[in-house]
Amino acid sequence: MSEELRCRALTVAPGATAILRGVDLTVPAGTRAVLVGPSGAGKTTLLRAIAGLQEIAEGDIHVGERSMRGVPPQRRRIAYVFQEPRLLGHLDVLDNVALPLRAQGAGRSERRAAARERLDEVGLAGLAGRRVQGLSGGEQQRVALARALCARPRLLLLDEPLASLDPGRRAELRRLIARVQAEHEITTLMVSHDRAEAAELAQHLALMIEGRIVQQGDPRCLFERPASAVVARFFGATNIVQGRVRDGWMALGGGAIAVDGPDGPATVAIRPEHVCVGAAAGVRATVAEALYRGTDVHLGLDLGNGQRLEASCPVARAPTAGARVTIAVAADHVWRMPGEAAAPAGRSPAHVRDGSHST
Amino acid sequence: MVAERTLLSRVTAALLAAAFALPLAALVVRAFADEWRAPAVVPQQFGLRGVHEAFSSMSLEAFGNSLLVAVLTLSAALALGWPAARVLGERRLRRPGLIFGVLALPLLVPSYATATGLTEWFLRFGLADSLLALVLAHLVLVLPYVVVVLLAGFGPALRDLEEMGDVHGLSRPARLWLVTLPALRPTLAAAALLGFLVSWSEYGSSLAVGGGRPMLPLVLLPFVGSDPEVAAALALLFLLPAVAALVAATRAVWEPL
Repeated sequence: MSEELRCRALTVAPGATAILRGVDLTVPAGTRAVLVGPSGAGKTTLLRAIAGLQEIAEGDIHVGERSMRGVPPQRRRIAYVFQEPRLLGHLDVLDNVALPLRAQGAGRSERRAAARERLDEVGLAGLAGRRVQGLSGGEQQRVALARALCARPRLLLLDEPLASLDPGRRAELRRLIARVQAEHEITTLMVSHDRAEAAELAQHLALMIEGRIVQQGDPRCLFERPASAVVARFFGATNIVQGRVRDGWMALGGGAIAVDGPDGPATVAIRPEHVCVGAAAGVRATVAEALYRGTDVHLGLDLGNGQRLEASCPVARAPTAGARVTIAVAADHVWRMPGEAAAPAGRSPAHVRDGSHST
Repeated sequence: MVAERTLLSRVTAALLAAAFALPLAALVVRAFADEWRAPAVVPQQFGLRGVHEAFSSMSLEAFGNSLLVAVLTLSAALALGWPAARVLGERRLRRPGLIFGVLALPLLVPSYATATGLTEWFLRFGLADSLLALVLAHLVLVLPYVVVVLLAGFGPALRDLEEMGDVHGLSRPARLWLVTLPALRPTLAAAALLGFLVSWSEYGSSLAVGGGRPMLPLVLLPFVGSDPEVAAALALLFLLPAVAALVAATRAVWEPL
């Protein structure tokens, strides 16, 4: 039942400027991919193009062996869960879920029986006869999910379906999506701007920036081995250090860190949680800022020479602002980025750019 | 405090009700009175003279004409107003204000003037004094109302719902029936009510292009000064379809399918 999704060199340009610029994305049959990116990157546009709601200028979309070019949305059999539930107010919950089967011409008892099954799957069996207006936001989105799955679609698209829910409900619904996807083995592409959500749900993760997919692959790969500074920053590797590698070492503050690869200019990414604060030996730093964030303490570290580093530290062991500390970074936590242009000559000692704070 | 407010709101409601009910009550009483001179609160003599006069063959013909013209005008206005309101409501035009301004232009002068202008053209196209001319003249006045009310129903919210229908496989007719019409129902009802009432009570253009065809407002007016009993009975006749339209529209707006 489930089929592979393939986008090839997809370009969407509704106006003068292109929103998607040559997107290549493959989601293997029966797997779950998450597309992340900042607002306005074109994530929703990609989903709309796949569903047939947005005209494509160039490239092609295949679901299984079939090209979707020229196929109207009604005949694509691609289910879409929107950011808002988009339920029909004049129908009860069960008839809302049964809508796709009604579109296919199924009889009333048949479609209501199938809808009841789907409703049971999302844990709302008891609400079948209710009007949709009385449901909470989370319940409405579950109804929308049940509706999407009702007609056994070939592909499931989810456009930030959790965005408007509170954190508790969001985690619950996230697990529900993962479970239902696995049970139906339906090829799924979900859009999110929340990288933690993406890490939890994605079997395949893709980052889109300004209409291009800048990196895709295993989620850990994007978090820990970003292809560029842009990717690193999006996934929270906020320490981007440029410098020159000599004999496997790169200068950092008053000390140095071990960096893999040949000598020469290099840009490395270090995740804040991988900066070990209070090491026995390493680089001396002053805590410029300590920000309690509930689950950890975010530290702004001053290394001298105007260099700064961000670190995330367990609450119990966190130093206070003004403290002098020694930091170290394990060699396998220093990621030398392959695609990144090195610092221009004459710009040493190493220049540390201040990453944007992320929550 | 709460009790006071309740009392106040009750008095207000009663006054408002009285303001609507008193003229209506006077009409009813007048229609069934043969003699009702000023100082008396109760008619000196009840009777059905006014009702008999009002239900003459001419006024019944006028009733039929007015109903036919109103229904035809409303149908045409909804058919033309629907796409116009969709285009305007979805902000698909660069200068929606200009289009709407042109559309609303006939409302800026008395309808008699608009219709007199139209008559010039009807004469030249051989439409003068025809039913079609009457419908067209009413349409010019009804369409802006219908469009401006329908406008509220079209927009991103409806488009979103229709997209939902598209991706879930609804054909165009199914989408219209299951998504668009239910979503537009209250707006449609309000537009239809307003459109019907504007045409139903239209006087000036019916006079200008009607070519002597009896229409209910035209038949009613001469009696207002000369024979209040007949005028009152005609007014009640006039009121019936309007009330029926109001009730139907109210039900469509507030009651579930």
